[in-house]
Amino acid sequence: MQDPRIRLACAFLLSCAAFISIAGAAAVFIWWLLFTPRWKSIRYRTAVLATFVLFVIVAGLMTLTGSDGFSYLVRMIAILLIGTWVYAESAAGDFLTVGTWCLGKRIGFEAGMIAGMAMQLATGLSDDFRRIRIATEQKGQSWGLRSIVPAGRILIHDTLRRADDTAEVLATRGYRTGGNLCPHFHTSSGDVVAGICAATTLILGCLLR
Amino acid sequence: MRLVLDHLAAYRPFWSLAADGVFSKGIHLVSGDVGSGKSTLALMMAGLRAPESGIVIPEGITKTMLSFQFPEFHVTGLSVAEECASWGLTPDSVTRLAGINVGNETPALSLSRGELKRLHLACILSRDYDLLLLDEPFSSLDCRGKEQVCRQISKQSRGITVIFTHEQSIFPDITHIWEIMRGELVDCGDMPAAARRWQHAPPLVKNLVSAGRIPFKLTPEGIREAACRIRG
Repeated sequence: MQDPRIRLACAFLLSCAAFISIAGAAAVFIWWLLFTPRWKSIRYRTAVLATFVLFVIVAGLMTLTGSDGFSYLVRMIAILLIGTWVYAESAAGDFLTVGTWCLGKRIGFEAGMIAGMAMQLATGLSDDFRRIRIATEQKGQSWGLRSIVPAGRILIHDTLRRADDTAEVLATRGYRTGGNLCPHFHTSSGDVVAGICAATTLILGCLLR
Repeated sequence: MRLVLDHLAAYRPFWSLAADGVFSKGIHLVSGDVGSGKSTLALMMAGLRAPESGIVIPEGITKTMLSFQFPEFHVTGLSVAEECASWGLTPDSVTRLAGINVGNETPALSLSRGELKRLHLACILSRDYDLLLLDEPFSSLDCRGKEQVCRQISKQSRGITVIFTHEQSIFPDITHIWEIMRGELVDCGDMPAAARRWQHAPPLVKNLVSAGRIPFKLTPEGIREAACRIRG
């Protein structure tokens, strides 16, 4: 999908559809099969698998406590698939251009820039996580579930530090709020069809609730 | 004890690195521009990244340590004491060696990056390794910190120590120089003769070499001695 506006709108509509009902989630899955490169759009398969396992555990606990764990699992898997697709298709500057186009040069630019930075940080997190794992194993400590807490602490701390550094750099360069940008988008007919189908999926999810 | 790089190669789109050579006991310097592949080479030498072709042969090496540029990645303890204990060390000796004045219960991640770097390097340099790979050990350090770390590195006499850096001012007692040029690891040879062939040499070293006064050592004392020879 070439137009980031339609891509983000699709992600929003499909996430809502999956969240609303199981039927909506099933429709989202069909949409995912039709309009995405499917498994090729999953970049970090280990991370996706780990998230899937986490969903299964939560769903299992919900079922044991009398809630509808199956419904939760189906809906979360649909949202996960859409999330990984958006992540794989996103290019640098997408959020900035869409934000500015949608909400203008002040709030839109600001929101787009923040989203873009968050996306950039997310890309680096997997590399950081791998380095932390190597460093832990080099100390002779085994890597397991217990290592997740210190690793997560370092990742959060490092992310906050980087955000702080970025804010300082922006302030030093004189950035206050917003900026000028003239976004250009290329919309293919396939993008339009995918967008219409995503809207239909949401309507279907609402009707079959 | 030696580390053999046998026709090692790594590729990425628009980037490649080829390395062929033997690292024997001593302190080696691998210099190169930012993005030249120093960190990738360090990972391959540590056996943590598989090369696209070629092989790394560790001979007589049983204990290897790779120190990353960012010390945060190595932190597993909540406090300074816990972090030192995770290396099997006592905090008092480590903080003394690091030259930092912090309490044992200070949260490790609340230290400044410079302090954390010194703490991390003090932990690593307090232990013995057959192969010690230091990726940008001088980043985040001030001149005094760099000199202190250099003195500690210079004392490493047991195994193979390799420093990957683009540092241009302060060095430990380097015995062998390598550099990455146009995607290839080039062997400049042993010091002091290596200083003649070293393309990434700091301007001061280049000036001394062009004046015919090759420094015997790259340490601040060695450079000073060579400079004094010019005046004499």
